[in-house]
Amino acid sequence: MSAQMLTFLSNDGVEITIARDVAERSVLIKNMLEDLGDTDEAIPIPNVNEAVLRKVIEWCEHHKGDPPSTGDDDDSRRKTTDIDEWDQKFMQVDQEMLFEIILAANYLDIKGLLDVGCKTVANMIKGKSPEEIRKTFNIQNDFTPEEEDQIRRENEWAEDR
Amino acid sequence: MAPRDTSMGISRRRPSLSLRTRPRTATVSTVQTVGPDNELWHGLSVVDSDDDGYDGQALEEHHISEQVLEETNQFPEPAPRRRGAKSFSSLRHPVDGLRALGRRLSVTIRNKSTRHSANPSEDTTRNSWCNEANADRRASVNSVTVPGSLPGLGLAPPVFSDDFYAGAAARAAAAAQNELARALRDGLKPSGTNLTRDSESGIGIDLRDRSELSDPALAVVRIDPVAYLPPEIMAQVFSYLDPESLMQSELVSRAWGEQASSRPIWRTVFRRAYRHHRASGLSNKKRQAAGLGNARPDQDWKRLYLVRRALDHRWKMGKAAAIYLHGHTDSVYCAQFDEDKIITGSRDRTIRVWDAHYPWPCRKIIGPQPVDVPGIGPVNNSTQQSSGKPPFLTICPPPTRSAGIMTPMEQTEDYHSASILCLQFDDKIMVTGSSDFTCIVWDVQNDYKPIRRLEGHRAGVLDVCFDDRYIVSCSKDTTICVWDRHTGVLIKKLLGHRGPVNAVQLRGDLVVSASGDGIAKLWNITSGLCVKEFPSKDRGLACVEFSDDARTILTGGNDHVIYQFDANSGEMVSELKGHEGLVRSLHLDNMNKRIVSGSYDMSVKVFDAQSGELSIDLPGWTTSWMLSVKSDYRRILATSQDSRAVIMDFGYGLDGIDLLEE
Repeated sequence: MSAQMLTFLSNDGVEITIARDVAERSVLIKNMLEDLGDTDEAIPIPNVNEAVLRKVIEWCEHHKGDPPSTGDDDDSRRKTTDIDEWDQKFMQVDQEMLFEIILAANYLDIKGLLDVGCKTVANMIKGKSPEEIRKTFNIQNDFTPEEEDQIRRENEWAEDR
Repeated sequence: MAPRDTSMGISRRRPSLSLRTRPRTATVSTVQTVGPDNELWHGLSVVDSDDDGYDGQALEEHHISEQVLEETNQFPEPAPRRRGAKSFSSLRHPVDGLRALGRRLSVTIRNKSTRHSANPSEDTTRNSWCNEANADRRASVNSVTVPGSLPGLGLAPPVFSDDFYAGAAARAAAAAQNELARALRDGLKPSGTNLTRDSESGIGIDLRDRSELSDPALAVVRIDPVAYLPPEIMAQVFSYLDPESLMQSELVSRAWGEQASSRPIWRTVFRRAYRHHRASGLSNKKRQAAGLGNARPDQDWKRLYLVRRALDHRWKMGKAAAIYLHGHTDSVYCAQFDEDKIITGSRDRTIRVWDAHYPWPCRKIIGPQPVDVPGIGPVNNSTQQSSGKPPFLTICPPPTRSAGIMTPMEQTEDYHSASILCLQFDDKIMVTGSSDFTCIVWDVQNDYKPIRRLEGHRAGVLDVCFDDRYIVSCSKDTTICVWDRHTGVLIKKLLGHRGPVNAVQLRGDLVVSASGDGIAKLWNITSGLCVKEFPSKDRGLACVEFSDDARTILTGGNDHVIYQFDANSGEMVSELKGHEGLVRSLHLDNMNKRIVSGSYDMSVKVFDAQSGELSIDLPGWTTSWMLSVKSDYRRILATSQDSRAVIMDFGYGLDGIDLLEE
């Protein structure tokens, strides 16, 4: 049970060494290690750059003691968009980094991190008008006024209003 | 026993006497208390003779012994209501906000009038996020700006969410996100303590005019997640939203519209929005339809949401159609329904099974050969209706002729020989209780054939309920009997009430009962002992409800109010006021947070289960006392002494309402 160290290689060619139990928060890496057996070579992570990888590792370090996620408990997982305090601070990054963390979490199969990332984005959308959402993410409105009007009418439908 | 008519007569007059002694009711009900109404009540009480489930005499005896109390009784203020945790979380914000402002040192009042009015569309957007409802907790923050912290440039729009459900923590994360993105754009190092602390406060409000926000520099760090992230990840993001936010997302752009309207997302969002309070199988007492639709592969979940929202709007407006089920020839004492059928029991000794759908025919009559009823006569009391919500539409389906729906029953022991006072059914069995002192267990899956008779009470069976293990019945003989559901063996008798036991409810090993002696008792079935008592303030109790989580007990009776008790502490939590007669029946709909009550004042009322406020008043929908009420997501079923049952259908004629059936 000693802290076995593993080395990973980011897609921009930087080697990062971390403890095995931390790396195994990633289901992808855990499965890969099971297939691979022990190795001294650096394991390439082709889709993730150094900056993002370091953030992901930081998250895994903090959450290495967490109980394993139950996996199939979709409904309860989506019940709330509350995020614990440490994770909130962790997610205080620019939008590009936020999305990259989400993509990396998805690729590396780290459910907890993916959830936190998605919740953070959901909270940036919640309670806003379409125009406010467009401004938040710099999105061009490509609806024609007629199309927009039609969706609006559809959504506002409720008799007697 | 004293001759019944006299005692009943006194009983019926009593409410008006008591009204005089209580200024509170007297002012409200001046019209009610004058002569003609009393005559009417008196007359009805004669019709309602010996087997009315609600033992007026017993209620009355109790009352007489308490008469001295009655005269001196100063109604105390209701106990302070317990507030939900929600209100506390909303309190956190102003405090945090002030703290944040304090940290930022300089605070100035900003004048934003000129630009504000120059752009009306901006104006409406702004109003949508600092409207009246939120003004009290954000006003101080909204009216100031913070020029010191990030000088000069157009700030990003970390618009404060109006969503009350998300926790402060979640908002803080989003606010911090926005703030940091802005800092980066402005060329500041995200070094820090400042940012971290500010985000802790959960406040990230941009106080600038919207017109300043169209800075082209925004493009640098603002990225469209729908373009950046694969659809399956965005699906997860969208499924965290509430329905209204999801609909706003559909309007952002074509790509957003396409993804945000996907059916799996709407399914998650719709079900979460309406399912969260669903009881966890603790009780199968009600098997109440939830109105969540069924999971067909082609189900249009967004449409389901829109229909459901329209239905909720109708409840809010109190807009329902009246459908009268006509066929019984005397008082209809009890009823239960599901999406498929409605079952009623009557003083005419028959049980009727009705189709719950148009044209609501009677499918079956169980009992002695009935007489076919003549014309329908007046179905409601329009004078009374004017003081509340009348039906927007009245439907009187023609009575079904009994010849075709009557199963001949040769042996009289196959059915009740007196009034049907109470009933409950589930998928397998139905249990009825009668003035003939017995209960009968019927086979729902085999054409309602009688399975067995439960004999043990020495007077009429006033209420019955059951779960997977027990059948519990209560009687005018002051006892409660617990029977084995599967064998019909009498397991226990719960003794202790000093008056007729009018109502009973069962949750797990707990039974709660309400008696004409004015006391509700909580019993443990295993020990057979009374665990707690919940007394009324004055007179006898007629009905009781037990929340699915067994934490709340509601009672109603001759005090004209509904008492709400905490089952654990035994404390009275609140009194729901509004009725002007004996509260005869109660139904708690936990999922939709509604308490429905039926009263001898001839009204059905709906109370908000959280605030205790009266939300809908439905007076005069029948011509006499309301005897039993039940409800589900779209309708209330009320039965009346005038021999009819009425469906108060809030979903009637609503386009797509059938989609909600499960």
